[in-house]
Amino acid sequence: MSCCKIVTEKAQQVLGWVDERFPLTSTYKNHLAEYYAPKNFNFWYFFGSLALLVLVIQIVTGIFLVMHYKPDASLNAAGVPVAFASVEYIMRDVAGGKFIRYMHSTGASMFFIVVYLHMFRGLLYGSYRKPRELIWLFGMAIFLCLMAEAFFGYLLPWGQMSFWGAQVIVNLFEAIPVIGPDLSIFIRGDFVVSDATLNRFFAFHVIAIPLVLLGLVTAHLIALHEVGSNNPDGVEIKKYKDANGIPLDGIPFHPYYTVKDIFGVTIFLIVFAIIIFFAPEGGGYFLEFNNFFPADALKTPPHIAPVWYFTPFYSMLRATTSDFLPYLWAFVTLVAGLTAWSVRNVWVRRLCLVLVVGVYWGFFGLTVLGKTKPLFDFAILGIHIGRGFDAKFWGVVMMGGSVLLFALLPWLDRSPVKSIRYKGGLFKTILTLFVVSFVLLGFLGTKAPGYAFFGLIPGGPVAAVSTILYLAFFGLMPWYSRLDKTKPEPERVTSK
Amino acid sequence: MSDNKQDASGGEACCACSLDPSRRALLAATAGVGAVVGIGAATPFVTSFMPSERAKAAGAPVEVDLSKLKAGEMMTVEWQGKPVWIVRRTPEMLAALKKNDAALADPASERAEQPEYVKGEARAIKDEYFVCLGVCTHLGCSPNPKFAMGAESGMGEAWNGGFLCPCHGSQFDLAGRVFKAMPAPTNLKIPPHVYLSDTRLRIGEDTKGA
Amino acid sequence: MSLLNKLFAAAALVVTMAGLPMGAQANEGPTLDKAPLRFDDASLQQGAKLFVNYCLSCHGASSVRYNTLTQIGLSEQQIKDNLMFAADKTGEQMMVALRRDDARKWFGVAPPDLSVIARARASEAGSGADWLYTYLRQFYRDDSRPTGWNNALFPGVGMPHVLWSLQGEQEARFVTRDDGHGNMVKQLEGLELVKPGSLTKDEYDEQVADLVSFLTWMGEPGQETRRSMGWFVLAVLSVLAVLSYLLKRAYWKDVH
Repeated sequence: MSCCKIVTEKAQQVLGWVDERFPLTSTYKNHLAEYYAPKNFNFWYFFGSLALLVLVIQIVTGIFLVMHYKPDASLNAAGVPVAFASVEYIMRDVAGGKFIRYMHSTGASMFFIVVYLHMFRGLLYGSYRKPRELIWLFGMAIFLCLMAEAFFGYLLPWGQMSFWGAQVIVNLFEAIPVIGPDLSIFIRGDFVVSDATLNRFFAFHVIAIPLVLLGLVTAHLIALHEVGSNNPDGVEIKKYKDANGIPLDGIPFHPYYTVKDIFGVTIFLIVFAIIIFFAPEGGGYFLEFNNFFPADALKTPPHIAPVWYFTPFYSMLRATTSDFLPYLWAFVTLVAGLTAWSVRNVWVRRLCLVLVVGVYWGFFGLTVLGKTKPLFDFAILGIHIGRGFDAKFWGVVMMGGSVLLFALLPWLDRSPVKSIRYKGGLFKTILTLFVVSFVLLGFLGTKAPGYAFFGLIPGGPVAAVSTILYLAFFGLMPWYSRLDKTKPEPERVTSK
Repeated sequence: MSDNKQDASGGEACCACSLDPSRRALLAATAGVGAVVGIGAATPFVTSFMPSERAKAAGAPVEVDLSKLKAGEMMTVEWQGKPVWIVRRTPEMLAALKKNDAALADPASERAEQPEYVKGEARAIKDEYFVCLGVCTHLGCSPNPKFAMGAESGMGEAWNGGFLCPCHGSQFDLAGRVFKAMPAPTNLKIPPHVYLSDTRLRIGEDTKGA
Repeated sequence: MSLLNKLFAAAALVVTMAGLPMGAQANEGPTLDKAPLRFDDASLQQGAKLFVNYCLSCHGASSVRYNTLTQIGLSEQQIKDNLMFAADKTGEQMMVALRRDDARKWFGVAPPDLSVIARARASEAGSGADWLYTYLRQFYRDDSRPTGWNNALFPGVGMPHVLWSLQGEQEARFVTRDDGHGNMVKQLEGLELVKPGSLTKDEYDEQVADLVSFLTWMGEPGQETRRSMGWFVLAVLSVLAVLSYLLKRAYWKDVH
């Protein structure tokens, strides 16, 4: 005991010296030892710390990959692009290189799995609601960065899927009226995806986006620790505190959640190891087969699809054809009408009216009047809009918008309760439909456009219906979340 | 309900000795296995710093044809990216080696890095051919040949031919042995090598097999 | 409500896990023969021999170094004596002697590098090995092609049938069918061996299987080691999982 005491005293002295100069102890207390988290976290609460773990894995493996990888589209002596060959060099010639590469490629997919589950947790328990709107918005920014990071990184192996995936996505920008074509050339730095594109994507992937990502993750955590964690009951633990100001239903994050998260990490590592050691290609979903062909600007592979984590959004882009637009406008009209009907503010009502009229003229100007001679003078405006914005443009708007809709959740959800535990059947049904449509869209996005389920049910209409369901989850939320028959929330958190 | 959580958090935990024994054992076991996992995970990262197969292939043994090398001349070949000198020494050069002994730091090459089979002052398998790594043992510069003897070398009257490192002035004789009071601590290194025939030399490996 | 929770959990897991095998459903595409892969040293060595004799004169395997073949039980000397025609150090890569410009002139396209061909040819229809195994056995005589050869799996292929002296010559049987829209189309119905090669059909299939096994091995040398290492890693991680669970329980017994 006495030796222990001396060591402790010395340690205290050193700590005291540091603390006078840097808030070490207080940081440790604020974020770990005296950060009180609700004691009723369940399975879904593993994914936040796991996302942090995958971020670290990606950064560390990424640093080591950069030591050997060469962003160079020129051909080597064997006629293979240098970038492509450098990946195989890592896989074969660098001792341990293949594990680092597999960790990174698997990590990319795991990142999205973990983040999608983390976001779904937010949907389940209303973690985006007041006072956590900013946590949610930072999270959405992280999600966008992650998508950009994955997109830029996917070009680097310089295989066929890398090349054509980048080609397709960059060409989306051409849909922007007037500046689009020049913009896509500007992004590529060439007339096709080329060495210039590869090098700038490399710079974005290894430096620019990771820096932003780290900043956003820090902001996400600072915001979380300011307001405190939500929990499966969706009630605020800060309402009931003991004499010392400690929430009665809170437990210190360290050691309770650190040991719990360590257990979560080991389970995650088991899944991670199974993929790396036994199925690093993830059945062609994590490493696409066609990407083992070097990039060839003259030959598109027979079937190109984005990596699985982009496919739900990509499906919505594909579903937005000129045939689909009338349904989309009908839906927009419904939402605008409902808004005009339920919001008393006269300006909001006028805005809705303008939106509906504009959308109708924009659409009918294209499909009806555009074909015949304009009957009314004011239809000319509609025709103009219709010609400027074709289905391709709306597809791009749809893909971007479907991601951004998540950011509106804190203001769309009007339910008196946060957690799914106290929500009614209506909300649960719609959430289930949302999840199903998201999965269907994701699945269809990996398939060729003509795919039919069991060779019978055509994928096109399924994607269209799923797109509407996806939009309805967000667009109609202000109404169904209020109509929903909720149960009363408990005062304190409940034990399982 | 959660009143006794204070026992867990409030107690001033000084170090492991205040933990309850069952937790301590588990903590140690988890930390131990966790360390094994950590070491395992670190392995590929550490090994990735070693020379790759490409570097090893580039650093593979090289074969040299000695038939064109004239007496008193030197040739340089690249092995593992480093210069390897081959000096065909004249009988005068060999005879002069002995004269240096008194001025050398390690005349018998007891501290030198060299294969077993290059013993003696000539430091060669065949005295005529001196094979050595042209890298100064001080800080890795490549010394310049100064084969002329005596005053005309510009190295002083007593100079019997050798090498001068341009970086910090270390001097070596024609067997790569360093003179006393030089920055370089030891004699020049001699790489493994083997004669495949009278005029064919393999550098980097001392067995004839592939 | 907790039941519904579980349902959501299940749905989410379906997204991430069960979605994968669903992708295996093939809606179209050719049917591939399952390649009888063998990863014993003898088969791989035989495959390596076929590869350097028949493939390497036109196709490179520029990511593979000759000394990698020591992993399939060959000594450096054996590699040097039997398998190296275009290189003199075992550390060198399997480069092709053919110049790319010449190749483009002769075949229309430069023959692709084969380092990862077995991984690239995988699809929903089957593994890359299955594709290669089918492909190498479905060449047939076609005088309309510049090389005089065509392939049932890869119509219009630029490569002639390099293994024809082993397999012999096949000819295609066509049938003319209605395509359902009133058009008559010529369809390939089957291949017939018209001139036997030096091997019987079974012997040829076996040789191709060896070659394809080698190409698969070459796609990621050491893949067997990776898998066997995996079991060990999983064992250690499982122990860690159990210990960390017990640790979690030991700490959480205070929380009520």
